[in-house]
Amino acid sequence: MIAIYICAGIAVYAAIRIIAEHNTMRKLPFLNVVSFAVTGIIALLMPHPITIAAAAAYFVGSTLESNAIASTWSGGIKKDG
Amino acid sequence: MIAGYPPEFIIGLLILLVGTVAAAFPRPKTYLTQLINLEIPGWGLLLVMLSYDEALALFTFGAVSVLSTFIYVRVMQKMEVCA
Amino acid sequence: MDEFIMIACSGLVLIGMTAAILHRDPFDKLISLSILIAGIFPFIVDRGYLDVAAATALIAPLSTIFILMVCRRETA
Repeated sequence: MIAIYICAGIAVYAAIRIIAEHNTMRKLPFLNVVSFAVTGIIALLMPHPITIAAAAAYFVGSTLESNAIASTWSGGIKKDG
Repeated sequence: MIAGYPPEFIIGLLILLVGTVAAAFPRPKTYLTQLINLEIPGWGLLLVMLSYDEALALFTFGAVSVLSTFIYVRVMQKMEVCA
Repeated sequence: MDEFIMIACSGLVLIGMTAAILHRDPFDKLISLSILIAGIFPFIVDRGYLDVAAATALIAPLSTIFILMVCRRETA
């Protein structure tokens, strides 16, 4: 039961670090930290076997989203194409 | 439980009200800011639907929200071409 | 759901909402919106809608990617 508390504490701490940071590029690793911690909360929240499927789906979706933001912010696709 | 209501109902109503005001009066008054602010009350409405135990409504609302975002993006791209 | 987890997820949602409204750069607004979405998912899982949570987690990044198609054109 202590693991989910640690995940929740890490999520709130990383969210506070995101809003305290002013450089956009340095916000993105902490966004990944929030995603990993919330994945841990989802996986540990209910004792049900399908919970791991929901956690895996959220993991894939949030990683895709933050990587899309980072790729567009660095401006790689438009200049190459 | 806060005053007999589940917590997601209270938080959903708060997000819905504040996000609607933010979407109606965006600070840098551009279409992009208004479109991003329009996402906020959508998630608040999803939390309110969650507190009423409507699973099919959650599915349909998620799909239609993404579809309407795609249509708004197409409209904004066509307006940039015309302008 | 435990009280501490509920308070932590509510804090995550409120932090994301406030930062998404107050920021002016579109990328900062999208990052804050991602925090808001991250705070919403434990509420969906706690109600027992695991299929809804999986479907929403796979659909929600498409909305962000569609908005990024416009962001790229305005900043470049």
